[in-house]
Amino acid sequence: MAVTEAPPATRPPAAASRTGAAAVTAALVLLVAALAVVDITQGTAAVGPRQVLKALTGQADPGDASVVVASRLPRMTAGVLVGVVLGIAGAVLQAVSRNVLASPDTLAVNAGSYLALGLVGASGVSLPLLASSGVAFAGGLAAAAVVLALSGLGTGTVRLVLAGTALALGLNSVTEGLLLLFPQQTEGLYQWNQGSIGQNGFDGVLQMLPVALTGLVGLLLVARRVDALALGDDAARGLGVPVRATRVTVVVLAALLSAAAVTLAGPIGFVGLCAPALVRPLARRFRGLVRARAVLPVAGLAGAGLVLGSDVALRALVPADTAVAVPTGIVTSLVGAVFLVVTALRLRDTAGAEAPDRLRIPSRAAFVVTVAALVAAVVGVTLAGVLLGDTKLLLGDVANWAQGRAGQTVTFVLDTRVPRVLAALCAGGALALAGTLVQAVTRNPLAEPGVLGVSGGAALGAVVLVTTVPAAGSWGVAGAAFGGAALASAIVFGLSARGGYRQNRLVLVGIGMAAGSTALISLLIVLTDPFNAVKALTWLSGSTYGRTTADVLPVALVLALGLAVAVARRTELDLVSLDEDTPRLLGLRLPRARLGFLVVGVLLAATAVASAGTIGFVGLVAPHAARALVGRRHVRVVPVAVLLGAALVGTADLLGRTVIAPAQLGAGLMTAVIGTPYFLHLLVRSRRAT
Amino acid sequence: MRRLLLTAATTTAAALTLAACGTTEPAADSTGKTSGAISLTDSTGAKVTLDGPAKKVVATEWNEVESLITLGVDPVGVADVKGYKTWDTAVPLKNEPKDIGTRGEPSMDTIASLSPDLVVASSDLPDAAVKQLRKIAPVLEIKSADASDQIGQMFTNLDLIAKATGTTAKAKTARKNFEAKVAEGKKALADAELDGTGIAFADGYVTSNQVSLRPYTDGSLIGSVNEQLGLKNAWKVKGDPAYGLGTTDVEGLTALPKDVRFAYIGNDGDKSSNPFSGQLKKNAVWTSLPFVKADKVHRLPDGIWMFGGPGSMEAYIDALVGALTK
Repeated sequence: MAVTEAPPATRPPAAASRTGAAAVTAALVLLVAALAVVDITQGTAAVGPRQVLKALTGQADPGDASVVVASRLPRMTAGVLVGVVLGIAGAVLQAVSRNVLASPDTLAVNAGSYLALGLVGASGVSLPLLASSGVAFAGGLAAAAVVLALSGLGTGTVRLVLAGTALALGLNSVTEGLLLLFPQQTEGLYQWNQGSIGQNGFDGVLQMLPVALTGLVGLLLVARRVDALALGDDAARGLGVPVRATRVTVVVLAALLSAAAVTLAGPIGFVGLCAPALVRPLARRFRGLVRARAVLPVAGLAGAGLVLGSDVALRALVPADTAVAVPTGIVTSLVGAVFLVVTALRLRDTAGAEAPDRLRIPSRAAFVVTVAALVAAVVGVTLAGVLLGDTKLLLGDVANWAQGRAGQTVTFVLDTRVPRVLAALCAGGALALAGTLVQAVTRNPLAEPGVLGVSGGAALGAVVLVTTVPAAGSWGVAGAAFGGAALASAIVFGLSARGGYRQNRLVLVGIGMAAGSTALISLLIVLTDPFNAVKALTWLSGSTYGRTTADVLPVALVLALGLAVAVARRTELDLVSLDEDTPRLLGLRLPRARLGFLVVGVLLAATAVASAGTIGFVGLVAPHAARALVGRRHVRVVPVAVLLGAALVGTADLLGRTVIAPAQLGAGLMTAVIGTPYFLHLLVRSRRAT
Repeated sequence: MRRLLLTAATTTAAALTLAACGTTEPAADSTGKTSGAISLTDSTGAKVTLDGPAKKVVATEWNEVESLITLGVDPVGVADVKGYKTWDTAVPLKNEPKDIGTRGEPSMDTIASLSPDLVVASSDLPDAAVKQLRKIAPVLEIKSADASDQIGQMFTNLDLIAKATGTTAKAKTARKNFEAKVAEGKKALADAELDGTGIAFADGYVTSNQVSLRPYTDGSLIGSVNEQLGLKNAWKVKGDPAYGLGTTDVEGLTALPKDVRFAYIGNDGDKSSNPFSGQLKKNAVWTSLPFVKADKVHRLPDGIWMFGGPGSMEAYIDALVGALTK
């Protein structure tokens, strides 16, 4: 029958409200069973409920029976397996880190596995399934180890999520680079990255089952120790539980589980985050669900329900042929994004203000030297950007070109190259300034347009316009990007404004928004232009390809405006970034000042996205580095940050254009490759400071 | 950090000194125009004027490359040369053209350095890129595919390129050869009493354990050629408006009629591109399909580009007719 999955293997031992817990488990089993039954009646073949019933009772014609046996049942089983495995992995990770936002997604496990598989795909080797799951496991485990090592276990929610998402961003950028470079070898990997539970027969499920079972049994064996950890490290040690060993074991087993899921279905986003969270309120009600041995199976069932529910909903809403092209993971990611936002809003924000950067106040001379060096660097990058490329030029060529006397080739090369260089420089400067403004207003050193979902909203707006009106001009795209960014930031800042942009809430809502907009962009691309993933990736990976002077104009103007505002209002910026009370004491109308700076920041981010696609990390890295170099006063931070941003993106663009010429990589990919390590370094440093 | 900045600045200064003030190309003089200009209108309605038949031609999409070779013009620049050599051996390159980068983002620099007389660009390129190409050389923008009249589009493109390269006679021959091949194939099929047979052509790819299939509907180039041959396209899936391709999975194959003939093209140079002789061998849905059981699945030779020009389509007709009448 449809209900092939076993009921949770281990029932909780006798507990006070055992019946309550049993009832919950039974209800979940029924729900998953019902979803499973619906799921096997859906698909591209004309095999509906009646044929399925006949097939299951052995009366259908062989064709229908084979569809049920070789396609529907494997898909359903894979959905259940993936859901169970991810739900349990999430639950156990959250338990050992005492962190409600730990999950395979936020620990970058999925991104690590994806990169590992991408590398294998690009090398042209086709591995048997079990071997590729080994590769995925290694990749996922390595990523999780990096994240946990950097963020420290049980030390604050945001740090973990930030380290995880930052690493995931960086790793995904590398993988996307591979997709662009090896479109043939990695064909399908993009779609696969969104996660889809469709199967080619039972082979995959059968091969992954032992891996999943190993992980599950292992986790149930250490469940008692996990319970002890919930009491706190010291208490656990007092009970004789080896804290460190337990954590390592659990993380390895959880990575094994998610690797199994990733190999089978691709990364199905956010299930590991949502499923345990759905179970948590139940645990408060029914005391039988307090212990890990009871909670884990229930979280697994919730995960199965989420995955199957998403699949069923998708196939019910979209015509069968289109539904094949829309990966299940997009649906779970959308659900998860909303969920993350809601969690963030309910989360009690205990994190105090982040320890301020070390207040070294460098001398005026140091500031002047820094600016001079940076100006030289920007000039150098600009010239290098103009001179280097597939065709190397010399300064004399540029001089000829500037006077309109250059030959045809030089004229052309420079006509196309100069706007790209300018687009990169302006976008870098604009993002850096946007980051500076947003960090000042929110007093949150980790806020930046990319992390906060503003860039994601801008990209979504632009992609919507580009797919509906292909002939849209540069101002149109900039306008659409601004519309998207404005909407995204209204949601993010609006939701987190209560209580004055609390650190955790703002960043978590932002990350939710970023994840949601990425999922929507993927959905849009799959539905409108399924055979042009490369075009979409190019746009999303932050590329200056094909930019003309007209495309640079919006961002250049807004950057000039932003600089004017920042310089004119530099004292207000200093005050706003100080604390809640001082500006009020001095008679500054705080909400209005904040809103003004935010609007300028959003404008900057949106025009930057319109001119060069989504480029992450610059808005975060540049202001940070600027403060480290010249102290906290905005009259100094602003120019240094803008110059740094321009130099960074300019360099990234230059490298992307030249390293693998004549093929090229987006500037966004390069900044992520440069930016991720810096971001992680920041996290480590701020951890040491606290 | 500051030391890094200083180093960067110093290095830059040094580099600038080294790069100072040479030129790689002499300043331009005004040159007189030669007579014999050609003017034509491309797929987007843009007017293109050439001084004379183009000799040095760059092409960004493979079907254009194939058309050029068919017309006896060896392109000087081709996007993704390696890919072309893998996927289009029906009309092989006769020279060693310069690789201009990916088909989606050909490198402007490299194209410019070839100083071509003409760039044949696909309408799949971003508009901004085409705008830039127009500054290098006259650009003939070609609509790669149109699901409403695929064969017509193919010859419109061939004729356009022929006009621009002064090879209209060869285009006429190519059209005649193609029509003769169609007639020949149609007759062979009719003689074998195969006219009106349902046919389903598809390709597919494998990622991890998942198989995706791409049905070629009657709006696709291959689908149109099949209909010219007197065959009937069996796909009921909706195709996209340009290439006429649909999406489905293995289950979707059960919608095909029982007596259908199934044909596909894979590539041994790209293992993931051929699920039919790999992953699907053991799939119960696949093995229980009537046309699989009846051994009516035909693998056509590698290297026939499914979106190519008349050369590829002639090779396709030979391969298909051969497979069906065997």
